Amino acid sequence: MESAMEPTEKVSANHIVPAERQGLVVRSAALVARGLRDLARHSNWLTTKVFAGRSPQAAISFRGHVCAVAPHTKGEPQRLVLYDIQRGAPALALTVPNEAMSFSSQLAAKAAFSWSPNAQFLIVAWGLWEPTLHLFDLQSKMFLGTFGEFAEFPRCMTWSNRGHYFVLAGSGGQASLSLWAARPGGTVLSGQPTSRIGPPDWSERQDISEAAGDEGTFAGYGRVAFSPNDSMLASAVEIKGEWADDSIVFVGLPSFKQQAVFHTEGHITDLTWGPDDRHLLYCAAGQAYRLDTQSLESERLPFGAELSSCHPHRALFVCFSSWLKNSAKGRLFLVDLDTMDVLDEHPAENVVDLRWSRDGSCAYAVTRDGLAYTYEPPF
Amino acid sequence: MAIETHPSKPLVKPEEHELARKRAEQSAIESELADCELRAANLRAELGAFERRYLHFVGSRYAELDELHAQVAEQVAKAQPDNPRAQQAARDARARANSTKSTAGEKAAQEPKPFQASPQLKRLYRDVARKIHPDLTSDRDDRAKRQSLMAQANEAYERGDETELTKILAEYECSPEAVQGEGAGPELIRVIRRISQARSRLSEIEAELQGLLRSELHQLKMRVAEAEKGGRDIVAEIVAKVDEQIAQAKRRLEI
Repeated sequence: MESAMEPTEKVSANHIVPAERQGLVVRSAALVARGLRDLARHSNWLTTKVFAGRSPQAAISFRGHVCAVAPHTKGEPQRLVLYDIQRGAPALALTVPNEAMSFSSQLAAKAAFSWSPNAQFLIVAWGLWEPTLHLFDLQSKMFLGTFGEFAEFPRCMTWSNRGHYFVLAGSGGQASLSLWAARPGGTVLSGQPTSRIGPPDWSERQDISEAAGDEGTFAGYGRVAFSPNDSMLASAVEIKGEWADDSIVFVGLPSFKQQAVFHTEGHITDLTWGPDDRHLLYCAAGQAYRLDTQSLESERLPFGAELSSCHPHRALFVCFSSWLKNSAKGRLFLVDLDTMDVLDEHPAENVVDLRWSRDGSCAYAVTRDGLAYTYEPPF
Repeated sequence: MAIETHPSKPLVKPEEHELARKRAEQSAIESELADCELRAANLRAELGAFERRYLHFVGSRYAELDELHAQVAEQVAKAQPDNPRAQQAARDARARANSTKSTAGEKAAQEPKPFQASPQLKRLYRDVARKIHPDLTSDRDDRAKRQSLMAQANEAYERGDETELTKILAEYECSPEAVQGEGAGPELIRVIRRISQARSRLSEIEAELQGLLRSELHQLKMRVAEAEKGGRDIVAEIVAKVDEQIAQAKRRLEI
């Protein structure tokens, strides 16, 4: 597992170094490519078709790589494929040793992915493989092995921002949150989790009825998000029931002890921390909220969202909402939470994952239908 | 009985016969090389002119845009001195702004003109290439001199400077290197080597041409030319897109 990526290189502030004399084409290649890209873009969004057809599961990395269950072709076995959105083409098929060929669409539809912070490593759980986590090194294009067996398919899993931790959120009535902590100098994950939290104590039926205002049962942990400085983990607690409401549990690190619980309204579809390590933006029942994690006061924000991702060092969120006021059409958009300005709306449907690059120079989104969006902020 | 006499044929040595054959081959390849150099020079000049136009209108705007981005990133970094990511983002943005400024260069006061060579200029360049091409000599000193003159000729061609090309040609023709050596044997070896060098250069030019034709610069140039037929100005469209980004960045900087 990687350690935090701290800046090491110093660049002089205002000194302009004349470009070396280069070949005609090399000299201006970057600016020409940029012009061609800008020509194709609409507003600050660039759209690329990554694959044809519809994928049951897809996710996007910090570097704009898409991992997806490839759209099924009749008579062909199901496959997991890594796509390059710059080229709009498959880059790598993910395979494991002794992989059985399977044509089951139902099993293939279950997939969970998590990239390491520098996008070198990818952890995959897939319904067609053994019920364990599969680790790939995308740089050397190697399958490194498996770890972390599970009984119920993971609902969500994620690596922490600085690469110190990896967490898996299980589904089902006996689900747990499993945490792997990086060993000093270690580069990959292995073995069983270093810590585990089972179903929350307050998730007994009676407590839930009191807290959430309806009959409901604990259905597992949902979306998880590490705070930027890796000191806290927030996880959705999913409550099954037509009118039941989910909760958010806050877990301290490295102790991995529950510190607070916040009961929300509706089912949570996404969680993302603000850059200040204090505020959490969560999306529940299509509405966006900001939660102060110290006072546990929640503020309803003036926009709807189902997915959201925060810029690495600014209170700027890229969001997706499948419902647009007066038109019922989905949109991707940016929100500056300092000013509450909504910027750069762009039509989009079926977005399943959103992510900012590590340096904040662009944001990515991917849809079930193989469209990838790249947002380059005008700042 | 009268004896018939035939006028005696001059005796041609085998190496002289071979030399004549090789000289004909050299002449043909010189001609091909000159044509090829002319094609490459045309493509280079056309792309060079297009690049200057692109950098003048678009590159200068990207330099302005990246400078604004760098200023915004520096503002954010200043406001968040303990945030290493913000500091790194500011350094990255500044490095990018410097790089773009360096590539775009100083914006010229005059709008760069497209390259257009007259038939006279093309003929002149072809003559120069045929006579002073560095790959048509086997003498080291002569080759160095030809390389220098050829570089001057390429620049003059790109500028459309007929006077300079005429001067270069005259200068070389009057030089001692232009005088042919004596003796069929050594001359045959020289000619064979020149043919070999010329063939090698032909392959190099072909590879360079392919590289230029595959480049994004050439692709953009083709798109611009194609769009112009339909009344579209693609460079202006890119300029409009970058201007939009500049306006957004300026607003961001003012907040």
